[in-house]
This record gives sequence, structure tokens and C-alpha cells, in this order.
Amino acid sequence: MTAMRRQAEPVRRDDAWPVSPRLLTTLALKELRDALSNKWVLLFTIAFAALALGLAALARASAGMTGFAGFGRTAASLVNLVLLLTPLMALSVGATCIVTERERGMLGYLLAQPVSRTEVFLAKYIGLALAMTAAVAVGFGVSAIAMSGAGDGALFLRLAALSALLAWAMLAVGVLVSVVLRRTGSAVGVAVFIWLTLALLADVGIIGAALTTRLRTVTIFSLTLVNPLQAFKMASLAGFGAGLDVLGPAGVWATTEFGRRLPILLYASLLAWIVLPLLAAWVAFRRRPL
Amino acid sequence: MIRLVVPITALALTAGAGAADLRALVAAASPGDIIRVPAGVHPGTVVIDKPLTLLAEPGAIIDAGGAGDAVRVTAPNVTIRGFTIRNTGDSLDRENAGVNATGAPGAVIEHNVFTDVLFGVYLRESPGSAVRFNVIGGKALDLARRGDGVRLWQSDDCLIERNTIHDGRDAVMWFSDRTRIVANTVTRGRYGLHFMYSDDNVLEDNTLSHNSVGAFLMYSKNLTLRRNRFVSNRGPSGFGVGLKDVDGLLAEDNLFAANRVGVQVDNSPSAVDVRHLYRRNVFAYNDQGVALMPSVRRNDFTGNAFVDNAEQVAVLGGGDLSDNRFTVAGRGNFWSDYAGFDRDADGIGDLPYRADSLFESLLARDSRLRLFLYSPVQQAVEAAARVAPVVRPRPLLTDDAPLMSPPRLPGVVLARGPAPAVSAVAAGAGLLALGLGIFGAMLPVPERRLREAAT
Repeated sequence: MTAMRRQAEPVRRDDAWPVSPRLLTTLALKELRDALSNKWVLLFTIAFAALALGLAALARASAGMTGFAGFGRTAASLVNLVLLLTPLMALSVGATCIVTERERGMLGYLLAQPVSRTEVFLAKYIGLALAMTAAVAVGFGVSAIAMSGAGDGALFLRLAALSALLAWAMLAVGVLVSVVLRRTGSAVGVAVFIWLTLALLADVGIIGAALTTRLRTVTIFSLTLVNPLQAFKMASLAGFGAGLDVLGPAGVWATTEFGRRLPILLYASLLAWIVLPLLAAWVAFRRRPL
Repeated sequence: MIRLVVPITALALTAGAGAADLRALVAAASPGDIIRVPAGVHPGTVVIDKPLTLLAEPGAIIDAGGAGDAVRVTAPNVTIRGFTIRNTGDSLDRENAGVNATGAPGAVIEHNVFTDVLFGVYLRESPGSAVRFNVIGGKALDLARRGDGVRLWQSDDCLIERNTIHDGRDAVMWFSDRTRIVANTVTRGRYGLHFMYSDDNVLEDNTLSHNSVGAFLMYSKNLTLRRNRFVSNRGPSGFGVGLKDVDGLLAEDNLFAANRVGVQVDNSPSAVDVRHLYRRNVFAYNDQGVALMPSVRRNDFTGNAFVDNAEQVAVLGGGDLSDNRFTVAGRGNFWSDYAGFDRDADGIGDLPYRADSLFESLLARDSRLRLFLYSPVQQAVEAAARVAPVVRPRPLLTDDAPLMSPPRLPGVVLARGPAPAVSAVAAGAGLLALGLGIFGAMLPVPERRLREAAT
């Protein structure tokens, strides 16, 4: 009976709002299943877990040397690892997700069904974000167990949560690239360039500027805060208990200047990198012809 | 000679049960008496103006009632043993103390527990005294309003041994020579140990952790640091050991771990004919292992281990390390970042160790760039220097005979820190379950279930 009535409904309009949660769930699960066939996600999960395991082994070896377990240091190396791998995978997965389907005509086929563009868009993001979360969770899960001699569970959970946030932010940027560009090849190229910029070039630029023009500390810190990778790094270091004092005068400046608001600032930067690109991508996706 | 033995006299006074307070007992005693002080709360201030030995029965408490000193000693050869001493005033001007000894040579303060005291033990012009086996806990005040756990003022030849001092300001020696400071633990203070104009002092087997600075040694001569542990001293200055205008230092077999700076050297040695020797110490996991001011000269490092410090050796504000030696008599140090080899297996690396990190030289030019520590740009900068040697900086230091293995520190067993292994395993298992659960949801759903869901 209900099935009959639904079939009788007119085809949903594109800008239909609110979205149907049931439809969203179905589509997101479909996206998750597709992500399994995407070898990038699997490859990343394995690579991340393997590297984290290697780090754990190294940490154990050096702990044995002086009887001092430098967990903070190991965790810091883990942060470094996350900084390189997570954005690379999230950006590349995000950048291919829509443009590929559009090229193959699958997107047109999907949108011909009684689903709105908003639903398809949100489902894609949620499904892929879940896949990223799974990859990060497995990586950290393996390393937490391997490093259990020196680790603190709460710290691992915190790091994993932050890494997931970073992955979602980079995924949002990747999806934006995927919506805007016409060809898969160029989308991947742009994504890798963004990754290189955020991971290296931006920092090299700030360092160069600081050395040549004596930037003010507030400028250095703000420019660094805007970079989601650095915001992630600072948020995870601030979690190790010492504030940002390990990051020298600029870190101490930020700690005294912002005090308790510092974590809020760091998280706000990460959240902005999730919300803003996603919003832009959503607007573009609804407006663009297929 | 340090007086450690309590003299035994014929007469021992013991107050009756619930007897009057300690002040009456002291007033009734003759010089040289031994008083057994019964359990109960004895109000302070108790003034001891003749040589006496006060032995506390279990449960004997001296309570200053929140004002002034708990005990004031003005006579030589007084022993105070086994009390709980508490609740002094909190006037920094009047320097309210648990035990305030002025002109009391040969005082012995031992086996007492001090709680809620501004100053713990204050020895003024009381040479040859001993402060041993006490537990001294400061008042819960801002660092700036606290007093010193132990303070010596013009008291030579004292022994400070096996005390546990926490939440105070400093344990400080002013103008007090030949002090022996042995096997104390100082935590959560400002400067764990603080020397001002105090010469020929020996620090052995102390543990100084979680203070702003482990030991700050200033304007003093001929100091020996042996087998101490300086761990996690990360306050605003955050040195394991800070040296300021010290002449004559031997530091051996110490551990400097997880401090902001392991050893910070400012104008030490200051005299041109003095060299300082650091040997067999371990500098590990500090932000900077050893940090020297640019003008510092004449420091010798041999047989030390530099393990995974973010910067092993740094010169603050740039400059070089000329006339500081890292190889002495053919023996260098162990460097965890040494990449050489030892083909003839003599324990000494065949290639010199060179500290020529480009990133660190950038840090020396602008220390605010530490903001970029622990991010990929650090390794990228180093890789760039390796690929293009033209941007490689002049080596900060060269160790011609680097050691292949670190020195063994006798008796160093460090707690592994907060290591709740169970929580890590639980967190790991939880994360794994979450991740695999999501992956499981990705598995293709059987056709049959799809059809069921559709109907």
C-alpha cells in the first residue's frame, strides 16, 4: 500500500528540502560499499597501520635504551605521520568521488532517480567520511595496542578523533575540487597540489617570510593557524598536557595570549575547513549542469 | 664535622598523659635533656632556647595555629625528631617556618612531617646542622606567595639528606659553603634546588622533577653534581639545571630527561682558567639537550649520551661553540642521531658526528620558528640541505670520536610515567572495533537482504 503510494508520487524536485533521512542512509551506505572497492582507502588503512606499528617498535627500542619511555615523542611522530598520510588520502578520495561518476555517466543515472541533488551530495560526503573514520580508527587501534606499554588510552582516542576531523576537512576540500573540475585527471592533480601546499609549501613560505621580513609573532601564528594541518598538529600537541610550550616562543605566546580559548581556536580552524568547502561544493553541485 | 649522633643524657623527661603543652615541658627542662613528647596537638610557637633533644611519641603534633613559626630554635645542639609540624602563618615578610633556627649550630631536624607550612626548615647562621628524612609540603598558594621548603642562610657544613619536598618554592642555600645534598626528592616547586653564593657544595642522588627548574646554580664555585635525576622540569624557564656565573663544576652520571632544556649554561665558567666537565650524563627527550649562551666557552663533554632531544645542543641566539669540546682525550659522546658506523669495533664511530641541521640553524636565527617543529616541513628542510649542500650550515659542533653505545647510568630506573596499559589496549580495541565495524558495513549486502529491505 505504502509502496504503491510512493510510486505514485511525482519525481522529487531537485531542491527538495528537507532531505529524507531514510534515503540519505541508503545512499550513504551505498557510498560506503563503493569505498571498499576503492583501493585507496584500503591501501591507506594498511599503510597507516604498518607505519604506526613500525613507530611503536622504534619507540620500544629507544625506551629500552635508557629505561625512559618517551611516549610524548612517539605520539608526536604519529602526529607527523597523520599529517602526511591522512590529507593525501582524504584529498585524493574526495577529489575523485564526483568527477569520476560524472565522467562515466553514473551521476546522471543516479540523479534520474527520485532523489534530490542535496541528498546525493550529502550521502556521498557522509559515506566517504565514515570510510575515512574507519581507516583512521583501524590505524590508531593497531598502534594503540602495539604501544600499550607506554601509551595512555585517552590520548590515543583524542588523537584518533582529531585525525578523523582532519580527514573530514580534507575530504571536504577534495569534494569541492571534484565538483568544480571536469576531468578526473585534473581533479587528482589539483588535489595533490593542495596537499603539497598545505603540508609543505605554505610552511616554507611562512618560514621564508619570517626570516627575511621579521614578521610579527601574531602574524606567524595566525598564518599557521589557518593551515588545517598545523591546526591539527597544535591541537594534538596541546593535548599532551604541556600546552604549546614545546613549540617555542610563538607557542608560548599563543598559550598566554589565548589561554583556555586556544583549543577552541584550533578546533574552530579545523571545523571551518570542514564546513566552508562543503558549503561551497554543495552550492556548486546544485547549480552545475551535469 | 657534621654532627649526626644524638647525645644521650642521664635524664629523660616524659610528660604524663594529656599533660600540658610542649612549651611547659621545654621551660621545665635543663640543657642537655631528652624530652619524650607525648601524642596530641601542641600549640606553637614553641621556642627552644637551650640544647635539648625532642623525641616525638607517635601522634605528637606541633600546630602553629595559622600564625607565626611552629618551632623557633635559638640554642646550639637541638634535635627535633619525629613530629608532625603544621599550619604556620603565611607571612613572607616574617618568613614563617615550621622550624626556624637562628644561631643554632648543630641542629638536627629529622623524621618530621611538615604540612601546610610556608617555609619548612629555615636555618640561619646555624652551621653543622642536619636536615634528614623529613617530608615537607608547602601551602597551596601561588608560586609567588610560597616559601622555601628548606632555606639555609650563612650556615656552612650542613647535610640535607633524604628529604621529600613538594609544593614549595625552592630548597635554597644562601652563602652556605660545603653543603652536602643527598638523595632528596623535590617536586612541584619553583627551583628544586637553588644555590646563591654557596661554594664547594655536593649534590648526589637527588631527584628533581616537575619543578619550574630542577636546580638553579648561581654565583657559586666548585660544585659537584653526581647521579641526580632531573626530569620533566618544564616551567617558564624549564631547565633541568640552570648555571649562571658558576666557576668549577663537575657533572657526572646525571640524567636529564624531558625537560624543556636539559642544562642551560650562562657565563659558566666565567673565569678564563676554569674548565667545566660533563661526563657520562644522559640527556634524553628534552626540547634542547644542552643550551649555551653564545659567549659560553670552556665546557668539556665526554662520554655523555644525547638521546632524541628535539635539539641535541643549541646555541641560543646563534653563534658557534668554539672552545667547547665534545671530544676529550679521544672519547666523544653518544648521539642518537649519529648515522656513522664502527668498522674496527672499538666502540668509537669511524666518522665524526656533525651537528649541521639546517632547520636548527634556522631556529637559532628565529626561535619562533619552533612553531613548525613536528611537521613535515622540518624533514623537508633537512632533506633540501642534504640534496643541495650549498644551503648546508656550518656545523654547530663536531665530535671526532662519537660513541656507538650510550653510557650506563648506575641505578637509574625511571618510572614509565602514566602508563595505564589497560586503557591503551581498551582504546585500541575500541577503535579497531569501530573501524572494522564500518568496514564491515561496506561489505556487499547479499541480494536476498536487499530484496527484503526493498519490500
